[in-house]
Amino acid sequence: MASSIVLYWGSGSPPCWRVQVVLEEKKLQGYRSKLLSFEKGEHKSPEVLAINPRGQLPTFKHGDIVLNESFGACLYLEDVFKSQGVQLMPDDPREKALVLQRMFESDNLTRKIGDVAHYNRDVPENERSEAGLQRLKDGLTTELKIWEGYAEKMGTESFVAGKNFTVADAVIFPVVAILFRLGVSQEKYPHLAAYYSLVKERPSIQATWPPHWKENPNKGDMLKNV
Amino acid sequence: MANNIMLYWGSGSPPCWRVQVVLEEKRLQGYQNKLLSFDKGEHKSPEVLAINPRGQVPTFKHGDIILNESIGICLYLEDLFKSEGVQLMPDDPREKAIILQRSLESNNIFQKIGDIACYNEMVPENERSEAGLQRLKDALSLELKLWEGYAAKMGTESYVAGKNFTMADAVIFPLVALVFRFGASQTKYPYLAAYYNLVKNRPSIQATWPPHWKENPNKGDMLKNV
Repeated sequence: MASSIVLYWGSGSPPCWRVQVVLEEKKLQGYRSKLLSFEKGEHKSPEVLAINPRGQLPTFKHGDIVLNESFGACLYLEDVFKSQGVQLMPDDPREKALVLQRMFESDNLTRKIGDVAHYNRDVPENERSEAGLQRLKDGLTTELKIWEGYAEKMGTESFVAGKNFTVADAVIFPVVAILFRLGVSQEKYPHLAAYYSLVKERPSIQATWPPHWKENPNKGDMLKNV
Repeated sequence: MANNIMLYWGSGSPPCWRVQVVLEEKRLQGYQNKLLSFDKGEHKSPEVLAINPRGQVPTFKHGDIILNESIGICLYLEDLFKSEGVQLMPDDPREKAIILQRSLESNNIFQKIGDIACYNEMVPENERSEAGLQRLKDALSLELKLWEGYAAKMGTESYVAGKNFTMADAVIFPLVALVFRFGASQTKYPYLAAYYNLVKNRPSIQATWPPHWKENPNKGDMLKNV
């Protein structure tokens, strides 16, 4: 039941957002939702650490079952609630393979965004350099070109794995959304922009739009030149 | 059928090894396979790039279905060949959750080993430093301590998810084996060592032991102080 599900999440975090999208799609809207502030360090609170020793979000419980990996939570929910809501993992082997391929492959994109966005957090001051940061931005640019290529092949009315919205879109849309939020150019990546515009209207996406993005719709510019 | 499965793989590569273990466990031993040499750059050959533009292994085909993400392949094979061989993903939600949790969480180990093993390849000479490399080794130490803790809780006769060998072991054992191959101390990590010694004798593991490790059983020492 939805009420035995607890999700600790942070606003705008793609791994959290994807779980929220899956919960919506599986008609589990009654889940207990705990919004935490990264800035205040609430993801490292004793309450979270008791469930997730890594102090990361999403932190997720279904009854006393714990699952703190976003892909894991998504796959688990689709499996356990298979007969409910939208079917997010196709039965057809070919479609299934493409969903799994893109979903896992998207980790490359998520990591490379993180490498740039978290540069100052992850790299000690004495090891940082303009060249070092630029190298990571170039890595992200190369990765974005790959995804722009996939989006172009998909066509403008298509989801990641074909005609239907699947768990691959739940996983990937939040990552694409954060790219544009951080200032990536829609002109430079028109097919990713078309995908973004197609999917952002979906009810599960609208229902879970990051609250602080609604409060402050202004884009950043960290990624404006990638 | 096994003979319309094609796996391109590299010796000792954990993402490849885990797929090979699953193929063995699902009784798909007749699969076509091609061992590639990383040293000779064969993973970047036109033959591989035609199937996997990232030029990485494992590269995997089932008929004309392509799937080049190792955990994706494991999930796909278990799902399609569910009724064959050993059941690697239990039906019970609690067990399923721990398998997904640990399998996906193990990416942390893989990343951190790679950061060290590929340091010179990934970091330009002018950005490298002793301190930088040491920071990555310290991060791996912390990560290994966490897994040593998990192994201690599991007990010495237990697999990752409990009494039975599951997909989590197929995914994780190759990483543990690599850590000890690179010289991590079995005395410092006795529970991980116990897990290693328990699982290494499993037929599917023996059948897929990296060929170049058999030729040269001498351990490296890159990780001897982590």
